[in-house]
Amino acid sequence: MKRFLYGLILAFVVASMWSCGSSPLEKAVKQALVQQDTTQARFDSICSIIKTYPERYKDYLNEAGEVDVPALAKLIEQVGGQLRPPMYWDVTRYGLQQLSLTIYFERSGSMVPYDAPGGRGQLKKVVNDLINYFPSTGNVTINIVNDGIYPYQGTIDQFLQDRNIYASTQGVGNAAFTDFQKIFNDILKAQRPGNVSVLVTDLIYSPADTRDVSVEKIFNEENSLATRIFKQYEGKSILVHQFMGDYQGKYYPYNNHPFDYRGQRPFYVLVIADSKVMDAMAADAAYASFMTPTSVRNSYRFNQAESMVDYCVVPDWKDNAGRFRVDHRDASRLTKCEGDKTTGVMCFSVAANLNGLQKPAAFLAEAANYQLRSISDFKLKVQPIEQSMITGNNRAYLEGKTHLLTLTGKLTEPRDEIVISLANEFPAWIEQSTAQSDTNPNASGFSTTTLGLKEFLGGIASAFGTGGSYTTIKLKLER
Amino acid sequence: MKKQHLVYLIIGIVATVLFYIFRVEAYESIYSVAGYSDQLYNLGLYDIIPLITIAVAWVMAGIYYYAINSVRFDRWYHWLVMLALVVVLAPVVGYLVNSRIFDENGLTYVAESLTFELVNIMWAAVLFVVASFSMRWWSTNCHHTPIPQ
Repeated sequence: MKRFLYGLILAFVVASMWSCGSSPLEKAVKQALVQQDTTQARFDSICSIIKTYPERYKDYLNEAGEVDVPALAKLIEQVGGQLRPPMYWDVTRYGLQQLSLTIYFERSGSMVPYDAPGGRGQLKKVVNDLINYFPSTGNVTINIVNDGIYPYQGTIDQFLQDRNIYASTQGVGNAAFTDFQKIFNDILKAQRPGNVSVLVTDLIYSPADTRDVSVEKIFNEENSLATRIFKQYEGKSILVHQFMGDYQGKYYPYNNHPFDYRGQRPFYVLVIADSKVMDAMAADAAYASFMTPTSVRNSYRFNQAESMVDYCVVPDWKDNAGRFRVDHRDASRLTKCEGDKTTGVMCFSVAANLNGLQKPAAFLAEAANYQLRSISDFKLKVQPIEQSMITGNNRAYLEGKTHLLTLTGKLTEPRDEIVISLANEFPAWIEQSTAQSDTNPNASGFSTTTLGLKEFLGGIASAFGTGGSYTTIKLKLER
Repeated sequence: MKKQHLVYLIIGIVATVLFYIFRVEAYESIYSVAGYSDQLYNLGLYDIIPLITIAVAWVMAGIYYYAINSVRFDRWYHWLVMLALVVVLAPVVGYLVNSRIFDENGLTYVAESLTFELVNIMWAAVLFVVASFSMRWWSTNCHHTPIPQ
């Protein structure tokens, strides 16, 4: 009899271990996800478990004995995928501490008036902010660019405190023209893994000797040049920020008849990095100020791959109408769907974290920017998630998410698939900020447009391929 | 020891282990509600509550057949009293554990927790029957309870 009782106990122990006997590492990951404690501190505590048992968790350590973040990310994805709803934790950003920043400060003739002593110095402020908000401030280098790339001779502190950067860098290179081909090629060639390059420029293509050359010819040349350069660097991603700054001084139009101009002019910051680095920076709150400077007017990221977003159907929400059941194995599948008994309308909400898409809040909150496909003609409403909407019971669904996508419609077929996508289109602001001529300072739009901007940025877009979506969410509905 | 009795014991153990392996399906096939069931799953309560239910059922059966094990308590209604204790004890302990863990996580699902424990009453009763028919054969005084064989 004893033997059988021991057998019984053993069977229970085996069954218990089989079901919930995950390792301390898996338990720690699961706990962090369930408690929504996806912070750097929690990540560090998980890393300390790995380092405490290096033999047991050798698969999560690299050759240098450091935590292999991608391997740990896979484990987190696996554990999170088993939860309800599946939970995600993008930890790749924690491997970013060693990023370096290289500033390329354009010093062509038409850039100097942006930092005239009488102006408000917006351009210099933006560059200073980029340096200050880059988390690894120790890894910053500055170069001056025009006909080539020249290292800045001072220290970072001297650069930050310099009230007239163009005066102190006078004589560096040839300010008469900007060789985009050389500059971009040099930047992209010099870029090592983990490096973030920032080019501060007016994005005016000014090759040497454009006298008597038609503007269309310059545009075509510019467009082809951009495509040719960037086609060679497929894994790169470019974030273009547009700013406005005071301009006081000589302006050099394409016809080589300079004139004095006092007023506002746009200037640009191009952040160039490997796509993976860009994705990780976008997902990391520590890089938020660096990635989205406060005074930015417009932004667009080139070569932004379609991203997976963390989303889940909120089972219990005030707007819900009718009935449905979220499949436990597939969070995107809703079964037993039924419309409201009185109206026949079914309404449910999907909570999604759209932070990683790096789009402005207004763009994400506008339902017109989303494309919706379904047989049953569902309608979409988008609402940003506010802290006050989160309660104890819905915390697991809403916390860490940024937007509620509410779908309303009558399910007309036994099965339907709702496809929500956020289209990645060439932004309208680029066209609106493009001038076909810059010879007349009194022309309307001179203060807000840049010669050939669309042609140059269009060339980059052609190199990387345009279209597609920033993200797509597919939901399967079954009666 | 009769071979047939040993078969009963093995079947009982296998049935209980299978119940534990398929505990989520066992509970959710009867009661599953969005939100609450997900939290039970995430917080590991589908591991703990069935384990409590199994332990209560088997321990109470063990107490009846081997600790009480008296001719004074060998009638079917004595066994029924033990069953009543099981169907009270298992859901009460389960509910207390459920409430505590939910409280710690700031969750309030009182109505759902009570409904879930009604399902647990059913499984506790089934498990007590399984445990009784697995171990009664070696009881010196109660092996005829609840149904003489």
